[in-house]
Amino acid sequence: MIEFDEEPPRRQFETLVPLINVVFLLLIFFLLAGTMTPAENVAVSLPEGTLNDREQDVPTTLIVEADGFVWLGERVMDAKLSGVMVEKHLRDTNTKRVAIKADADAPAEAVLQLMEGLREAGVEQVTIMTERGS
Amino acid sequence: MFDEPIRKRGMASLTPLIDVVFLLLIFFMLTTSFLQTQSLSVVTPAPSAADLPKDARVVEIWLNGDGSIAIDGKPIERAALAQGLNAAIGERKDITVTILAERGSRTQALVSAVEAARQSGAKSVGTARVEKITK
Repeated sequence: MIEFDEEPPRRQFETLVPLINVVFLLLIFFLLAGTMTPAENVAVSLPEGTLNDREQDVPTTLIVEADGFVWLGERVMDAKLSGVMVEKHLRDTNTKRVAIKADADAPAEAVLQLMEGLREAGVEQVTIMTERGS
Repeated sequence: MFDEPIRKRGMASLTPLIDVVFLLLIFFMLTTSFLQTQSLSVVTPAPSAADLPKDARVVEIWLNGDGSIAIDGKPIERAALAQGLNAAIGERKDITVTILAERGSRTQALVSAVEAARQSGAKSVGTARVEKITK
């Protein structure tokens, strides 16, 4: 008769080791490849674009929702009234650099109204965030 | 008296380790984002459409309220915008591109128009919003 001298309980541990290896690899992958971004109040689907001006570390981000409302941090306002609010914020933080994250479906009118408000606040150039198009 | 197996101890500590590693993995999977954003610098618009120049050296892009786009009145597809704009500008170097956004037009169209205008090599790009484009 053939004798089996392998011990079944040990086998269980042996099969666990490649799993741990893979999980560690995945962990390291996500650690290195991902970027941690602070969560924002509203999710917008950015418009697609091809150009990239590589503006980095813009201190103020305004979010324009698909329905035309503008978010500045915790505050939400109508695009028409946004100028005053943004002006105060820019004065407080002493900066002229503003990024706009607008939903692709947001009315262009709202974005332009917001930009008009920014011009009144002394901002000459704004950065519009886009997503790499296919 | 002491009949606890000493060998087992080394193996028992592996399970909590795996638990923690799994938790970390799930944490990083949920918090990281791979979305690559680009930035587009745009000059803030003129106070009103009436302030924009209106002569022969101006090419207008109309963003109509129904989502369609036109260059100087001729309808054009969004994908062909850069091409059409190059054709409208030709060889001239002193061209100003004006983007007029009608009520109802979307941000995607505005971004596409700004990008096309930038790529066309126009001297300056202006944007304005209008209630209704007068043809």
